[in-house]
Amino acid sequence: MSAPSPHHPGWLARLRAGDGLGWPVAILMSVLFLLVPLLPGEYWTQVGTEILILGLFAMSFNLLYGYMGQISFGHAAFFGVGAYATAMLFTALKTPAGAIGVPEFLLSLLVGPPVAALAALFIGFFCVRLTGIYFAMLTLAFGEMLFYIVFSWYSFTKGDDGIQGLLPPDFFQDSANFYYFTLAIVALALFVMWRITESPFGSALRTLRDNQRRAAFLGTNVKMHMLANFVIAGAFAGLAGALWGPFSRSVNPGLLGWGESGIAVFMTLIGGAGAFIGPIVGSVIYTMLQAVVKMYTVYWPLTIGSVILLIVLFAPGGILGIIERRMRAARAGNQANGGDPAAGPSAAEAQP
Amino acid sequence: MDIGPYALQLFSGLSRAMVLFLLSAGLSLIFGVMNILNFAHATLFLLSGYVTFSIFTFLSQQFGASPWMLLPAIVGAVALMSLVGFALERFLIRHTYERELPEQLLLTFALVLILGDVIKLVWGLENRRINLGVQPIEMLDTLVNPYQFVIIGTGVAVAAGLWYFLHRTRFGKIVRAAVYSRSMVSALGIRIPMIYAMVFALGVGLAALASGVFLPLLPMALGIDLDIIVQSFAVVVIGGFGSMLGTFVASIIVGVVYSFSILFWPDGALAMIFLILIAVLIWRPWGLFGTEMRS
Repeated sequence: MSAPSPHHPGWLARLRAGDGLGWPVAILMSVLFLLVPLLPGEYWTQVGTEILILGLFAMSFNLLYGYMGQISFGHAAFFGVGAYATAMLFTALKTPAGAIGVPEFLLSLLVGPPVAALAALFIGFFCVRLTGIYFAMLTLAFGEMLFYIVFSWYSFTKGDDGIQGLLPPDFFQDSANFYYFTLAIVALALFVMWRITESPFGSALRTLRDNQRRAAFLGTNVKMHMLANFVIAGAFAGLAGALWGPFSRSVNPGLLGWGESGIAVFMTLIGGAGAFIGPIVGSVIYTMLQAVVKMYTVYWPLTIGSVILLIVLFAPGGILGIIERRMRAARAGNQANGGDPAAGPSAAEAQP
Repeated sequence: MDIGPYALQLFSGLSRAMVLFLLSAGLSLIFGVMNILNFAHATLFLLSGYVTFSIFTFLSQQFGASPWMLLPAIVGAVALMSLVGFALERFLIRHTYERELPEQLLLTFALVLILGDVIKLVWGLENRRINLGVQPIEMLDTLVNPYQFVIIGTGVAVAAGLWYFLHRTRFGKIVRAAVYSRSMVSALGIRIPMIYAMVFALGVGLAALASGVFLPLLPMALGIDLDIIVQSFAVVVIGGFGSMLGTFVASIIVGVVYSFSILFWPDGALAMIFLILIAVLIWRPWGLFGTEMRS
């Protein structure tokens, strides 16, 4: 599924390119997200918070996959490192009674991204030398090693007990307040991410995604760009992790495991890696589906497994990919005036 | 020096290594021939363990309990799982050959989730193990379960059999040729899709053999497939994708290192394996016995 070429027409293409229709869609999604706490009961507000945090995590994964063309099976390491960094500072700053002040709370959140970025700098230094399946395996190996270190270093990380009692200040204990707080942070993060992907740096990444050798010929320092992107992706994953602790009131080693990395991969492929907002769309679908299915059955893995199977077999490119192909086919149909439907997509691609 | 604990770890490490080899040989073969990294390999191993258990229980009820009933149970499970593997390749896996790596991974990962829940639906949450009632024997200052020698013997025998198959039989030579150039093999008039399905069936059959042989030592439990598959990946990568010799050597390294690490750092023994994997990937990404060409 690769991330398709950037030069084809259609509103989704323009959304990818970041001009024109990108803003209306972004505003529509923002409005929908703003309305979530108006739903009755706290349940959907909490589901909404989960959508945002895991969506940010999946977005950070897609910086590696969609924009750099490498699949990481250890991205949760940075989510987990961010979560643990925040949780440890949080625990150190809170009073013996368990309360924490607002400045201390914010400070503990701030420490997540830089610590995760540092871990990404170290791990990325080795990983960016490889591509494809070897990149996937090395990220998996580093992720699993960190997982087992956190899992077994009881005196430092509390091992498989995890760190409990991460109760945020009173104001943030309210579901709606925490939701809006998360929404603000995630929206800001996405804006920064979008600026990065649309910058010359982002263009260079897409070039080396499509052809590393050509990018190198054009004077791009391929490894440096990949490392910088790896660190940026790690920092955003760390931010998502930092939010996760106070949201779920605890952290555990599972946050670093490859199952957690898999969630980011699922969300991205369900939504569509080719579109900037694809992972968030995937997070909405994945998390909502999980919230609904878990009400009725314990067989959630069977459900999501079947969904993924169907997507891989029948909808490569994810949900946004389907919409895009439909629209392209329709356009091609109009322009070719009833020409060979099989030639539709390629005809559309040939348009300037 | 008391060698007892070390001998104990050596034998358990070697038997673990042989199971890892049986599992990883199939994984490596499937990757080498079809370029598919099968995430579901250990889940098929787990499923097969439950199937073996059920056949064993059935046979014991019909013909009276005997440890020897494990033999027909394993044969039955291997045959059944090979058919399952054949069908999986024909109906699902082959649709992803033209796709990119992430979608292939995703398809087999979807199978991990689906098969895991199927096991839960059919066999429930209870662990399954077979007690053969083998008495430990005393040797090298310690008590060793002699069944471990059965596992080690099976592993070595299968390794030799695989070598013979790949180097001395017509079908094996075709499989090896397919690792190097699929288009060439196909141009010579050999039906590549059939080869693919049979290699996949062979790989799953080996996984079934691994779980059947290991059943008296390792209880089958939901979720162990997730631990085992990453270790099996480690073995395949350390040895080099597609290299049988590499897979054999890497299995011994991983099995023995794990076994001895448990003495010193019980919870972190797996971290040692990933440390080796990281070192190999940085130093020789194509593995100890792989060739650089294939990276």
